[in-house]
Amino acid sequence: MPDILWFIIRRLLATVLVMLALSLAVYLIFYAIPADPAHLACGKPCTPDRLEQARHFMQLDQSTIQQYLNFLKGIFAGRTFGEGAAAVHCNAPCFGYSFPLARPVTTLILDRLPVTASIAVGAAVLWLIIGVSLGVVAALNRGRPLDRLAVGVALIGVSTPSFLLGLLAILVFGFWLNMVPVNGYVPFSESPVDWAWHLVTPWLVLAVLQAASYIRLTRAQMLEELNLDHITTARAKGAGEARVVVTHGLRGALVPIVTLFGLDLGGLLGGAILTEKVFSMQGLGELLISAVGQLDVAVVVGVTLFSAFLIIVANLVVDIVHGALDPRVSHG
Amino acid sequence: MAEPVLEVHDLRVTFDTEGGLVPAVDGIDFSVAAGQTLAIVGESGSGKSVSSAAVMGILPSNAEVKGEVLLDGRELVGLPSDELRKIRGNDIALVFQDALSALNPYYTVGWQVAEAYRLHHDVSKKAAFQRAIELLDKVGIPDAARRAKSYPHEFSGGMRQRVVIAMALVNDPRVLIADEPTTALDVTVQAQIMQLLADVQEEFGTALVLISHDLGVVAEVADDVLVMYAGRAAERGTVRDLFHRAAHPYSLGLLGAMPRIDVPPRPRLTTIPGSPPSPGSIKTGCPFQPRCAYTERVGERCITERPELTPRPGEGDHEAACHLGRRPEAVV
Repeated sequence: MPDILWFIIRRLLATVLVMLALSLAVYLIFYAIPADPAHLACGKPCTPDRLEQARHFMQLDQSTIQQYLNFLKGIFAGRTFGEGAAAVHCNAPCFGYSFPLARPVTTLILDRLPVTASIAVGAAVLWLIIGVSLGVVAALNRGRPLDRLAVGVALIGVSTPSFLLGLLAILVFGFWLNMVPVNGYVPFSESPVDWAWHLVTPWLVLAVLQAASYIRLTRAQMLEELNLDHITTARAKGAGEARVVVTHGLRGALVPIVTLFGLDLGGLLGGAILTEKVFSMQGLGELLISAVGQLDVAVVVGVTLFSAFLIIVANLVVDIVHGALDPRVSHG
Repeated sequence: MAEPVLEVHDLRVTFDTEGGLVPAVDGIDFSVAAGQTLAIVGESGSGKSVSSAAVMGILPSNAEVKGEVLLDGRELVGLPSDELRKIRGNDIALVFQDALSALNPYYTVGWQVAEAYRLHHDVSKKAAFQRAIELLDKVGIPDAARRAKSYPHEFSGGMRQRVVIAMALVNDPRVLIADEPTTALDVTVQAQIMQLLADVQEEFGTALVLISHDLGVVAEVADDVLVMYAGRAAERGTVRDLFHRAAHPYSLGLLGAMPRIDVPPRPRLTTIPGSPPSPGSIKTGCPFQPRCAYTERVGERCITERPELTPRPGEGDHEAACHLGRRPEAVV
């Protein structure tokens, strides 16, 4: 498969360029905000002297372009803020340093990633199963009550905000029925059962909301697919209905479903902001939101870039999988 | 004539559409014996393809089939779907018009031919694939063992049609229904495919139902001909009856519209004025009457009374549904 290898290499090179452009844009946007992060770090009362000291320590006294170049350099060589005993080290790959949290951004992201990944991957598996199976059922029962029901559920799912459904789920299953924990996260390594137990509500909430678009997509694709001539061929060969629908019908509907799934999952891995907030989970989304509140620019830039990177990677993976799923697509 | 393999009596197909009940096939009879070829001829919308789909039991669920379809004397209409499934692709196989859309783009041609075999034989995938290669070789695909691993889009139109024929033949069917098998192909390839079908028929004694509007092909390969118009039989007889003693004005019109090199050239080909009626739109009288050049000669009867098939001079069972008593002279 040398073709696919070249394709991946070319795409990865393009990814580097996109990330560079993106990082510059994000950097300029967040450094253009009128608030001064050094002011917060300096504390109260803040003498002009101390403020100047803080600015120098945080390397905010340099020009914006110089700061951006420092940022780039830090990714490969690491950075050191200040001198002597007070010096703060941020090892490569350094995507900035959070002074309010006193941790390198890289460490913060890696700490929070398992939480977000746990939420995202679990929910994604659920919504894929729910969405695709309901979509197929709807397509097979087109125009009948079962179809109307599935389409109705999809409409509600698409229009419900996640915080509303999340809070309702906490209220009903957490407080009234007392079935599930209402917040918190237990690492998988500590106790897989507790991990799943704490995650089951956010999974279901996210899955129900996301499944909606999969119901619609799967239904539309299946209706189109089941009308094709090769489906008639399969029937004429003597294939049973289940085989016709799954092996011949769903197989063709798979490409757009996988595309949507890859992009959705990539997006969600960058932080399920509202869901994390509602269920008080310390994920990437929560990290980003509190960083915005504290003017922690380094974290905002780092998390934003990381999310963007995930989406670019998701696109790449989707393209590769697309080629594997559809023999007519070539990556030449 | 030999004992018929496939007999169809008074076949009626009605579609339940939003616009009401539409009779697509309104009582046709035909039969075909082992090694024989029956051609069903007619314009688009005359019910040819619907009839073949009805025989195969692959019509959509809004179609109602009445009448008798006997395979070796066994009634197929009303059989439970499971029983029918065992017959489809096994005893009766279908060759489609457009091989590109009839093949599934996501699977190799070898897989698709092997699938047809596995659906009716309890064999390993490997053995079925071997059988597929054998058939692909038999229908004239060069280097079949290697080409079996290619996808449909990697074949030329003629080769794809050979694949579809291999898929239809893989279970040694008693009856082969070919629905305009050469329409989508170049003239030279058409001849090759028709030759292939003739060879197969000779080797296996397959009964062939050829659906076509190419009278040239029909004259060459058919033993018997059924001319359909607006879901009904206009005329039927042996191929010589039709080409030398056509009794129905519609048959004459079709023959007149066919370019010939064995008669002195005419300034232009004759055409049948107007277009075929939509199914069910003509309730009384002869469905061909609005386009018929002989209506004036017969008079009122064509409008008030529906003509039934009545015997005509010729070999065997030559019949036509026309009020003109004797064979009409061609009207120019």
